[in-house]
Amino acid sequence: MSELSVQHIDKIYDNKVQAVFDFNMDVADGEFIVLVGPSGCGKSTTLRMIAGLEDISAGKLLLDGKDITATPAKDRDMAMVFQNYALYGHMTIYENMAFSLTMRKENPNVIHKKVLAAAEILGLTSQLNKKPSQLSGGQRQRVAMGRSIVRNPKVFLFDEPLSNLDAKLRGATRREILLLHKRLSATMLYVTHDQTEALTLADRIVCMSMGHVQQIGTPLELYDSPANLFVASFIGLPPMNFYDVKVQEGELLGEQFRVKLNEEEKSRLQGYEGKEITLGIRPEDVAPGDEANMTVFSNENLGMNTLVHGHLGGTKKATDKISAKMRGWCNYKAGDTVGISFHRKHFFDKETTNAIRKEA
Amino acid sequence: MSEDRKIELDRMRFEKNKTSTNLTYLAILADVFFFICIYQSDVGTWYYNIMIGASIIYNLIFMLAAFLSSEGVKNYMEGYSWLLGLLGIIQVARIFIIPVQALAATVTIQDQTVQVMGGWQFARCVIYLLCSAICCFSASAIGIRKSRALNAHLASLEAEGN
Repeated sequence: MSELSVQHIDKIYDNKVQAVFDFNMDVADGEFIVLVGPSGCGKSTTLRMIAGLEDISAGKLLLDGKDITATPAKDRDMAMVFQNYALYGHMTIYENMAFSLTMRKENPNVIHKKVLAAAEILGLTSQLNKKPSQLSGGQRQRVAMGRSIVRNPKVFLFDEPLSNLDAKLRGATRREILLLHKRLSATMLYVTHDQTEALTLADRIVCMSMGHVQQIGTPLELYDSPANLFVASFIGLPPMNFYDVKVQEGELLGEQFRVKLNEEEKSRLQGYEGKEITLGIRPEDVAPGDEANMTVFSNENLGMNTLVHGHLGGTKKATDKISAKMRGWCNYKAGDTVGISFHRKHFFDKETTNAIRKEA
Repeated sequence: MSEDRKIELDRMRFEKNKTSTNLTYLAILADVFFFICIYQSDVGTWYYNIMIGASIIYNLIFMLAAFLSSEGVKNYMEGYSWLLGLLGIIQVARIFIIPVQALAATVTIQDQTVQVMGGWQFARCVIYLLCSAICCFSASAIGIRKSRALNAHLASLEAEGN
C-alpha cells in the first residue's frame, strides 16, 4: 500500500514569491499521476516538495496515512529519477545501481539479487560491467530507474526524465516506463511539460499553470472536457482554435461564420443567450463542410492526416486563424478556399474562462 | 555449494577484487617507507652508494610493476597475481642486500669507526620490506584463489547456457 495525500500545499520562497498555491490531491496505491504544465508552473517544485527536497510552506503531506510533511527526504521511502540521470561516472552500472543499498549497509548478497532483478526488468543485464559513459541516453535513464527500483520505494518520482533524449528514444523509453509501471504496480508521480507523455502515461493528469492546479482528471477528461481555456489550449496538438462568438437564437455568430447549435449545445448555452462566449474547436474536429470558409496558407502532409492552416473568411487577422487536421492526404495550395464544418464544440465563459457545461 | 556461496561467486562477475588491489597499494606504501628509511644514513662508502643507487632504480621498477599488478588483480587476471608473488619474493631477498650488509659494515670518518646503519634503522628497513612482501604474498594468494573461483563459476554458467 502506498497512498499519497497532498493536502492544501503551498510553496512560498524566502523572497515571498509563491510558486505553488493550494495544491490538493489524493493518489491511490499503484496510480500513475502526471503533473503537466508549461515551464515555471510549479510542477517540479511540487514534486520536490513531495520528495522532501523543498520545504513545504503550508499544508500537509501524508503517505499511507502518516504525516511526512517534516520528514527528511532520506526517510520518506521515495525514489526520484532526475532529468540528468545523476549517475556516478566512475562507477560501473552495477555499482551505480547498488550504491544506495551499499550506503545503507545492506547484505551484499541481497544487494546483488536486487540489482540483478532490476537489471533483468530493465534489460540492462549485459551492460552491468560498463560505465555510464559507454551507454546511450536511454540506457542511462534506465540505469537511473534501476537505481530507484532496487530500493523498492513506496513512491517513484520522475522529474522530466525524458527531456534529454531525442524524439525516437523518448518514445521508446516512454513505453518502457509504462511497462515498468504495469510490472511493478507502483505509485508513480511524473513531471513533464510534454502533453504527449502526459496523455500516454497517466492514469490521471494534473494540469498546472502559474502555481495553480487547473484540472485533475483522466487523459480523456482533460482532452474531451477541459475545465477552462488554459487546459483546452495546453492539451492537444496542434492546439485548439478559439473564437469570440455571440449566442443568438440557437446560433453562434462569429465574425466570419454562423453556426447552428444542436439541441445538446443549446441546452448547455441556456443562460448565455445574447452574450459573448469563447468557442473552442480542436483541429481534428474541423472537417470539409459548409459552416465556414477557410483560405489556406499552408498544407502539411503527415501521412495519415494533413494539417491545414488558414484564415477564416479570407481575412488575414490573427483572431481568424484556424488549424485543421483533415483525414488523408490533401493537396491544398496557398490561397485555396475550403468549405469547413465544426464537429465538436467547446464553450468557455468569456469572463471566468471556465468551460460551460450542462448543468446537472 | 550453499546458495550464499553461489551468490558470492556470482558477485565477482561485477565486483572488482578490491582486497588484492588494496594490499598491493599497501605493499607499495611500505616500499616507499623503506625507500625513505635507507636515506637516513649520511655515512656511506662507495660500495653502499652504488647499492643505494641500484635500490632507487629497483624501487621505481617495483612501484611500476606493483601498480600494474594492482590493476590486473582488480580484474581477476591470474598472471598478475603470480607477478605479485614474484615481487614479494624479491622484497624478502632485498632484506639480505642493503639492510643486512649495511648493518655489518663500518666506515672510518676522521679516525673514528662508525656503523653504516644503526640497529633501529636496520630494524625499520627490515620491517618495511617484510610488510611489503607480506602484502604482495597475500594479494597474490587472494588474487589466484578468486580468479580461479571466478573462472570456474563463469565456466559453469556457460555450461548452463547463461
